[in-house]
Amino acid sequence: MKAVRPAPGHQDTNDDGSPPRMVAVVADGRTLHAPEGTFLLEVLRKAGIVIPTLCHHPAVEPAGACRLCLVEILRNGTPGELVTACLFPITDGLQVRTRSERVQAMRRNLLDLLLARCPDTPLIQQLAREYGLDQTSYPRNTEATDCILCGLCTRVCDRVGLSAISLVSHGTERKVAPPLKQPPPDCVGCLACAAICPTGTIQAEESNGTRTIWGKTFTMLSCKTCGRALITTAQAEYWSGRSRLPIAYFETCDTCKRASTAATMAALGALGNGR
Amino acid sequence: MVPVAQCDPAAETSVRLRVSGRDIRICCGTGCRANGAMDVADAFARAYDDRSTLQIHTKRTGCHGFCERGPLVMIEPDGILYTRVKAADVPEICTRTLERGEVVERLVYHHPADHRPIPLAKEIPFYARQTRIALRNIGRIDPTDIADALAHGAYAGMRTALTELTPTEVIDIIEHAGLRGRGGAGFSTAGKWRACRRAPGERKFVICNGDEGDPGAFKDRSILEGDPHAVIEGMIIGAYAVGAHEGFLYVRDEYPLAVRHLEAALAAAREAGFLGHDILGTGFALDLAIARGGGAFICGESSALMRSLEGRVGEPRAKYVHATERGLFDLPTVLNNVETWAHVGAILAAGPDAFAALGTGRSKGTKAFSLVGKVQNTGLIELPMGTTLREIIFDIGGGMRGDRPFKAVQTGGPSGGCLPASLLDLPVDYEQLTAAGSMMGSGGMIVMDDRTCMVDVARYFLRYLSEESCGKCLPCREGLRQMVGLFDRLVTGAGQTGDLERIEALAQTMQAASLCELGKSAANPVLSTLRYFREEYTAHLEARACPAGSCRALTTYHIRAQDCNGCHTCFTACPLGAIAGVKHKAHRIDADRCIGCGACFEACPRHAVGFGPKMVCAGQEA
Amino acid sequence: MAPCFDPAPLAEILARYAPRETSLIPVLQDVQRAYAYLPCEGLAAVSKTLGVPLAKVFSVVTFYRAFALQPQGRTVIKVCTGTACHIRGADRLLDELERRLAIAPGQTTPDFGFTLKTVNCVGACALAPVMILGERYVAQAKTNRLPALLDEGGHA
Repeated sequence: MKAVRPAPGHQDTNDDGSPPRMVAVVADGRTLHAPEGTFLLEVLRKAGIVIPTLCHHPAVEPAGACRLCLVEILRNGTPGELVTACLFPITDGLQVRTRSERVQAMRRNLLDLLLARCPDTPLIQQLAREYGLDQTSYPRNTEATDCILCGLCTRVCDRVGLSAISLVSHGTERKVAPPLKQPPPDCVGCLACAAICPTGTIQAEESNGTRTIWGKTFTMLSCKTCGRALITTAQAEYWSGRSRLPIAYFETCDTCKRASTAATMAALGALGNGR
Repeated sequence: MVPVAQCDPAAETSVRLRVSGRDIRICCGTGCRANGAMDVADAFARAYDDRSTLQIHTKRTGCHGFCERGPLVMIEPDGILYTRVKAADVPEICTRTLERGEVVERLVYHHPADHRPIPLAKEIPFYARQTRIALRNIGRIDPTDIADALAHGAYAGMRTALTELTPTEVIDIIEHAGLRGRGGAGFSTAGKWRACRRAPGERKFVICNGDEGDPGAFKDRSILEGDPHAVIEGMIIGAYAVGAHEGFLYVRDEYPLAVRHLEAALAAAREAGFLGHDILGTGFALDLAIARGGGAFICGESSALMRSLEGRVGEPRAKYVHATERGLFDLPTVLNNVETWAHVGAILAAGPDAFAALGTGRSKGTKAFSLVGKVQNTGLIELPMGTTLREIIFDIGGGMRGDRPFKAVQTGGPSGGCLPASLLDLPVDYEQLTAAGSMMGSGGMIVMDDRTCMVDVARYFLRYLSEESCGKCLPCREGLRQMVGLFDRLVTGAGQTGDLERIEALAQTMQAASLCELGKSAANPVLSTLRYFREEYTAHLEARACPAGSCRALTTYHIRAQDCNGCHTCFTACPLGAIAGVKHKAHRIDADRCIGCGACFEACPRHAVGFGPKMVCAGQEA
Repeated sequence: MAPCFDPAPLAEILARYAPRETSLIPVLQDVQRAYAYLPCEGLAAVSKTLGVPLAKVFSVVTFYRAFALQPQGRTVIKVCTGTACHIRGADRLLDELERRLAIAPGQTTPDFGFTLKTVNCVGACALAPVMILGERYVAQAKTNRLPALLDEGGHA
């Protein structure tokens, strides 16, 4: 399905290939310039303005789930609604305040709720302290967890092209889970989900040449040169299939490949004096 | 048996029964069906299949609206309404009314005050006060027969629009009529259409939102069941106006009859050349398809509904970019509610002035409501905007059920609020309801009496939403979780000092920070009950008592021996056998076995069952 | 006992729809209708045929209330928990059903006779409290009518 205009946030070119219009945004009194339609968060962060986020990562589509990036729109100088910067496409003349009392209070309230869900999670405790909260003013959730349901793991898995895990159920029952709560058939054990998880909820175990994640155990592929096991066989097969590179390419680890390239270059004298 | 003329106290409206050539319109809406309407219809069909000389025609129609009195049978053109008709009554109606021209008095509506019989539907207060536009043909046509719909004016507005007007002129007419969305926030319909028309792109969509999810609302179901052609006609006109050639009707899967009638209507419209290529020879093309909802309340939210049509989970999107620009499949889309679409054809056919002449300042035309709860005449009604709550509940609704006092009316579903008796003279329109802390929503009106606890009602909606929220954004999901926890404390007498302030602060966070309207408005039932019934909250919190005697953990029941005649009704009603007593002697409730369900209270014909507060120590019942 | 999985109806359903994501929900609705639940064995086939990852299928299945992953009883009893039903005693009705059937909402009796469910407002508010016994709408469903209704339902 072809969109009629580039989606908000994608500001490289317009649909017809023309360069996007540059617009001016005023944030906390500073005038910033960026292409029209760029997401506000990106504009603010580029300008060095600190905005807290928990569900944002440049590698994946924004979701607007954690709501911490709320900023206040000013209309003719008077405070208007709160918007999530991660999803808000900028227009010319937009005026925002990123740290007004209302914004800070709202972030604090959100962290208060999050702290009730994740009372023992260091990242949340630390962020809450930054907003003056030592502990939640609500009863702790009966099933305290480290998972903040930011959905970064499922979005990165989509991005990898596997969608092995997803957000399941709805309402207060919502969880991240593999299909049918069984070891996910589409998972290749790449650890992208564990790597992107901001709270370290997703953990993998490695021992004796195997890796276990989401209840599924993978055999590791040992580097032919150094013998270290860095990726799973399933991962190598998946990347090989997607990239059309021979499986042999993945049988040597990146470090050894680089070392071998360096050695070749040295042998050819291409590196001059070298080390 | 009385001759018809004598039934009618107003001589100038005396009924003249015709001898032949009558329509028998049997309401076969979901409500009447549940009460046996299909058996009644079958009995009429059997009675007249071989007596065609009488020219009597049985017709199975959609909802007549007066669901409380169903199954309903209307005899036209006389206009006689028979209520609570059983299949066994059919021979009598045939012989007496259809053949001899008499009225069967026991089956007509009797005025609740003076018990006089009112045989004519148009003189029954429930019908007399209504103005039907969206519901114009419901109960009059056989929804599965397009010829019948055409004979009642269906598709005339479409003809005008497609053959005489440009798309922009159509939008101008809708704007002039002042039509606003009938499903929620009340956006200008013409505004949406114009934005979509202007949005660049060849491929656009029209969508009918039939995912009527507000508990207590069933107007969309009744329209889809009783007059699917009105909706289809509206969508054809809308598609023509915005330049869309594809459309979807998203209907709740819990509405099987609506889906069936809509399927039949779409097939008939295609057959008649109202859908497909080159509609009415104008070159305009459109096709419509039905999508059945998956049973998620959140899919009534437009962006979630579109995700559902795409085959995904119904998670709403931020609306910083409107659906008229990026909707279904990221293409320009107009989404309107069932009732909104049903108005369109009528506006085009009658002209915008007639519509704009009804209603108040910025709320024009009529609005359909489902009137339910502790009111006498439950059912489906349509009224000019600006009708007061009092007129709706006491004139049309016939007042309170069981003579209990009015306490509140809940409008707008889980996004709405509870309005107290002091607001009964509020004219019902978008602005007034919003200012009072409620909402128009999809037109559910749930009337509550003094036995309804406002804290419990707020808790009911919170629990509902905590299950129905998509769970994506933090303030809605975790906010609802905490709200439910706080309310669970209140209704069990375990509330803590500061809980009301906690509830208010949480409500503000949810309002300001949630991603979609569900989360933003989730606290409305809480805020409106706190605003109008704060003392009831205080009673739960401080006295640990439920003044309405509704919260089980805070209520005990007893039988006043002096009022009890030992009729044994409560004994039968009690699900736990907690009532002891022999017939004709005063009964007694065993407090240890009583779970406080109140079944005996409801059942007692002599009002001998009383209730009182139960002593609860803080924390004991948590 | 839970019924065995017969793949034929599923194959027939899948053949009727275009193999794309937009077909997912209608396919699952038809499968649910044909089997009275969504057999796990079938979900993999749905995922493969429509080209939708299994995790996405699972997401959809658990998001929408219309879908059940467990086999359902011969008669499904749905108690409407809409507002009108709530204030006219739906919770009392539900309590009594739970007691009589000895199951909680969402559960099925061990003999697969009944499944008890709560449903959002079915739009029959004028008849509150409403329960749906199989396909039949029961108006003003009072607890004292339950023995007779369950008896009829059990033979449905």
